[in-house]
Amino acid sequence: MTDSITLDSTDTHGHSDHDDHAHPTEKQYWIVFVILAVITAVEIAWSYMGLEGPALVVPLIIMMVVKFLMIAGVFMHLSFDSKMPNGRTFYLCFGAAMVLAILVFLVVLAAFEFQI
Amino acid sequence: MAVIEEPLALPSGTTKARRPLGAFSRPRNATGLVDWLTTVDHKKIGIMYGMAAMFFFIIGGVAALLIRLQLAAPNSTILSADTYNRVFTMHGTIMVFLVVMPIGAAFANYLLPLQIGARDVAFPRINAFSFWVFLAGGLMLNSSWFLGGGANGGWFNYAPNNGAAFSPSTGIDFWNLGLFIAGIGSLSGAVNLITTVLNMRAPGMTLMRMPVFVWMTLVTQFLLLFAIPVLTAAQLLLLLDRQFGANFFNVTQGADPLLWQHLFWIFGHPEVYLMILPAFGIVSEVIPTFSRKPIFGYPFMVFSGIAIGFMGWGVWAHHMFVSGIGPLSVTAFSVATMFIAVPTGVKILNWLATMWGGKLILNTAMLFSIGLVTQFTIGGLSGVTHAVAPSDTQQTDTYYIVAHFHYVLFGGALFGFFAGLYFWWPKIFGYKLNEKIGKWNFWGMVLGFNLTFGPMHILGLQGMARRMQTYDVSMGFNLWNLVSTIGSFILGVTTLLLFVNAWKSYSEWKAAGRPNVGADPWDARTIEWSIQSPAPEHNFDVTPTVSDLDDFWHQKYAEDDEGKLRQVATGDELAQPGNGEGVHLPAPSYWPIVLAFSLPIVGYGLIYSLWFCIPGTLLTIISIYGWALEPADDLDIDDHGHGPDQEMEPAV
Amino acid sequence: MTAIPVEDAVEVADDHGSDHHDDGHHTSLGLSNMKLAMWLFLGSECLLFGALISTYLLSKARFLTEVLAGNPEVLGTLPANLIEEFQAEGSVEPLFDIPFTSASSFILLMSSVTMVFAHQAISKNDQRNTRLWLATTAALGSVFIAGQVYEFTTFYNEGLRFDGNLLGSALYTLTGFHGVHVTVGIIMLLSLLVLAFRGKLNQDRAETLELVGLYWHFVDVVWVLIFTIVYLIP
Ligand code: HEM
Ligand SMILES: [Cu+2]
Repeated sequence: MTDSITLDSTDTHGHSDHDDHAHPTEKQYWIVFVILAVITAVEIAWSYMGLEGPALVVPLIIMMVVKFLMIAGVFMHLSFDSKMPNGRTFYLCFGAAMVLAILVFLVVLAAFEFQI
Repeated sequence: MAVIEEPLALPSGTTKARRPLGAFSRPRNATGLVDWLTTVDHKKIGIMYGMAAMFFFIIGGVAALLIRLQLAAPNSTILSADTYNRVFTMHGTIMVFLVVMPIGAAFANYLLPLQIGARDVAFPRINAFSFWVFLAGGLMLNSSWFLGGGANGGWFNYAPNNGAAFSPSTGIDFWNLGLFIAGIGSLSGAVNLITTVLNMRAPGMTLMRMPVFVWMTLVTQFLLLFAIPVLTAAQLLLLLDRQFGANFFNVTQGADPLLWQHLFWIFGHPEVYLMILPAFGIVSEVIPTFSRKPIFGYPFMVFSGIAIGFMGWGVWAHHMFVSGIGPLSVTAFSVATMFIAVPTGVKILNWLATMWGGKLILNTAMLFSIGLVTQFTIGGLSGVTHAVAPSDTQQTDTYYIVAHFHYVLFGGALFGFFAGLYFWWPKIFGYKLNEKIGKWNFWGMVLGFNLTFGPMHILGLQGMARRMQTYDVSMGFNLWNLVSTIGSFILGVTTLLLFVNAWKSYSEWKAAGRPNVGADPWDARTIEWSIQSPAPEHNFDVTPTVSDLDDFWHQKYAEDDEGKLRQVATGDELAQPGNGEGVHLPAPSYWPIVLAFSLPIVGYGLIYSLWFCIPGTLLTIISIYGWALEPADDLDIDDHGHGPDQEMEPAV
Repeated sequence: MTAIPVEDAVEVADDHGSDHHDDGHHTSLGLSNMKLAMWLFLGSECLLFGALISTYLLSKARFLTEVLAGNPEVLGTLPANLIEEFQAEGSVEPLFDIPFTSASSFILLMSSVTMVFAHQAISKNDQRNTRLWLATTAALGSVFIAGQVYEFTTFYNEGLRFDGNLLGSALYTLTGFHGVHVTVGIIMLLSLLVLAFRGKLNQDRAETLELVGLYWHFVDVVWVLIFTIVYLIP
C-alpha cells in the first residue's frame, strides 16, 4: 500500500479523473448489465432447483460475489480508477472495509452457530 | 475554466454577494461569539474540542469523586444504589466518549494541517459539523442528569439489562441517542481527517516523512471509521427495541443478548486503542524534542502503530471470556490478545531508546511523557495478565480491571494529553505555561494517580467486585479503599492545577505586555514550529516544501566539515513571518451548527413524543439544503487585504 | 480586477459538502478529495450493513429454533398457517414471494445501468440525456421502493409484525434500512435533476453526479447481498 501512495504532490499535478483514462463505452456497460441479469436469472433458477445444503448455497454465494465485483469494478469504476496514479487507494480503502466486515462478522456468526 | 472579471466591491462599499445557486450567503466579517459559532478554521475548532472536553472532564471528574466518596468507608450511604449506578455509568461514558476521544480530536484538528503543511483540513465545514454534532450529542447525554437521571447500565450497557423491561427509566435512551449523535461527528471527522492526511500534504511530505503524531492519528481515524458504524448498528437495534418494541434483545422471543456484547466489543476494543494512539503520537513528538535526538526507529514506530490498528480488530472477545463463548474462541482470542502486546511493547522500547543517551530536558511536557511511558507499561502488563483467560476469570469484574484501564487511560492517554498541552500551548496561545506550577501539576498527579489506582490492584485480587455500591466492614477492603479515596482527591486537586497554571501564566504574560514567545520556543523538530506563535489564521505564508523527516530540525542543524552537528540557524530566523497577504481562506458558515443541533431535537422526539421529530427532521433537511446551496466559498470576503490583482491561492 | 475562475467560485458543495473546488488537481495523491471521502464513507457503511446482516442471520436462526421447538411465546406472535408452513419447510422461505422480489431486484440492477449512462452523458455535456437518465434512475428507484412498500404490506397482512417476534424485527429492520438508503439516493437524484433543469448541472459538476452514482451503486450492491442472503438462501 505504502509505495503506491507515497508520491509527492508534484508528481501527480494535473491528473484528473476524467481525461486521463478511458471509461468503458455504452456498449460495454450494456454487456455487463446483461451478464448481471443472466446471473440473477440463474440465481433464481438455482434456488428453485430443490437443492439443499452446500450444493444450493455455495453457487449462490459465488454468483453473488461475481455480481458484487462486477458492479464495484465496472459501474463504480474501481477497475478503471485503479489504473490511474494512486488510484488503488479507492479500492484499498473500500476493500479493507469489506474484508474486515466479512472476517469480523463471520467470526461472530461462527461463535454463535457452533458455540465454539 | 471560464474566467469572469468583476469588481469585488460595489462603489457604495457594500460587497456584492455571490450566490451561484440563487440561495444563501455566508456569514461575513463575523466577530466574537458569531465568529466562533460559524468558524471553519481547524485551529479554532481544535480549541473548541479541547474546551468542550475540559468541560465534560469536570463533570466526569465530579462523578468520579462522588464514587470515591461513597466507597471511602464501608456501608456508606452517601449515594443510593440507584444513584451510584447512574454516577459510575455516566462517569465512564463521559470520560470515554466526551473527554478522551474529543481531546484526541482536539489535537488532531489543531495539529494535523500544521504538521503536514496544509492550509486547513479537506472539508472545513464538515470539520465544524463534526465538532458541533459531538457537542450536541454530549450535551444531550448530559441533559439526562436533569431529566430523570443518567444511564445506569455501565458504559458498555449490556443487553438485556439495557432493555425497557429492566431499565424503564429514560437514562439509557439518552445514553443511546446522545452517543448515536456524537458518533455521527466521529464518523464525519474520520472521513475528513483521513482525506486530509492522504491528500493535503505539502510537497515532499511523503507518508514516511510524516510526524509520528500524524501517523497515529491516521490509524486512529481509520479505527473510528470502521468501529463507529458497528456501535451505531448496535445502538440502532437498541433504539428499535426500546422505542418501537422490536425484539432484538428480547430473551423471551429467543434472542441472544450476547449479540450486544459482540457488537459492542467489536467497536469497543478498537475504541480503547483509538483512545491511546493519539497520546502515543504526542509523546513521540515530545520525547525526541526533549531528548535532543531523533525518534528511535521511526519505521518501527509507524508500523507498530499500523499493526496495533489491524490487530485491534481481532481481540474483542477478550472482554467476553466469562460470557459463555466456547473454548476455541477463548483460546484464539486469548492468544491474539497476548500478541497485541508486542507492537505496544515495541513502542515503549523505542521511546526508551530515544531517551537513552540523550540530553534529557526534564520540563513538564517531558515529565508527563515519561509518566505515560511508565504508567502505561504497568497498565499494559496488567492487560497481559487478563489476556490469560483462566487468570482473567478471577480478575474480570473486579477492581483489578478498574486498575488496568485507569492505568492505560488516565496514566496513559490523559498523561499524554497533558504532555501535549504543555508542549503545544505556546503554539496555540502564544505563551508558555509556568514550569513551576507544571512540576507541581505533574508530581501531584503522579502521586494522586498511583495512590488512587495502585491499591485497586490489591482490592481486585482480594475479590472486591467493581460496580458495587458498597461493601461490608467484614470484607477487609477498608484500608485500601480509604487510601484510594484520599489519592483521588489529591489527583482531583492537582489536575485542576492545569487550569490554575493556564490562568496564572496568562495573567503574567499579559502583565508583561504579551512578549512574543517566538516561533520555536522548544527548538523542536516538526514544521508546525516554523510558523509564528500563536499560529496565524492562514497557517503558512507559503506552503512549505519538505525534504526530510523532522524537516524543520534539518533546516536548523547541519553537519560541519568535521562531521559534527552544528546549528546553522535558529528557529526564529527560519520561521515564516506570518504574513497572510494573498491567502484566501475558506469562508465561515452557519449551517454546520444548525444541522448539528437539529439532530438532538429528533433525539428528544424519539424519547418523549414522535411529534417533536417532525420539526427536528425538517430543520435537518433545511440545513442540509442550506449547506448544499450556499456558495462553497465566498470569494468576496477579503480576509487578509490582498490587493485585487493578486492571484488567488486555492484554499486547499 | 480579479480573475476568478468562475467554476471555482460556484462549485456546489453537493450533498456531501466539500468546501473545495478540486477535481484532483493540487492534492497529494492526485485524487479528488470528494471521491476519496465518498469511498471512505462507503467503507464505513460496509461495517454498518455487515452488522445488520449478521443480526438478521442470527435472529432468523434463533427465531426458527424457537418455532421448531414450539416455544409458545414465539408461536403466539404468528398466525397458525405461517407457523405450519415454517415448521414444514424448516425455514422462513414460505414468507417470501421470490418472483416478485426478483423483479424488484432486477429493477434496482437496471437503475445502476441508467445511473452509469447519466454519468456518461454529463461527461459529454449532453444535457438532454443527463436529465433523461437521471429521471429514469430516480423512477426505477421509486419503483423499487414502491415494491418494498407492497412487500411490507404483504408481510404485514400475512401476520408478520415488527414488534411481534425476532424475524419481524430483523427482516423489517434490514430491508427497511436499505430502503431508507435508496430513498436518500432518490432524493439526491431528484435534487440533481432540479439542478439540471435549471441549467446548473454542467460538465464541471460531473463529479457531483459521479459521487451520487457511487452511492447509488453501493446501495445496489448491498441489495445484491441482501437478495441472496435473505431471500434465496433458506
Ligand atoms: C497491552 C495491551 C492491552 C492488553 C493486553 C489489554 C487487555 C485487556 C483485557 C483482556 C481486558 C478485559 C478484562 C476483563 O474485562 O475481564 C481489558 C479491559 C479493558 N481495557 Fe485493556 N488491554 C490493553 C491495552 C488497553 C488500552 C491501550 C486501553 C485504553 C487506552 C485499554 C482499556 C481497557 C478498558 C477500558 C477495559 C475495560 C472494559 C470494561 O470492562 O469496562 N486496554 N484489557
Ligand atoms: Cu479490549
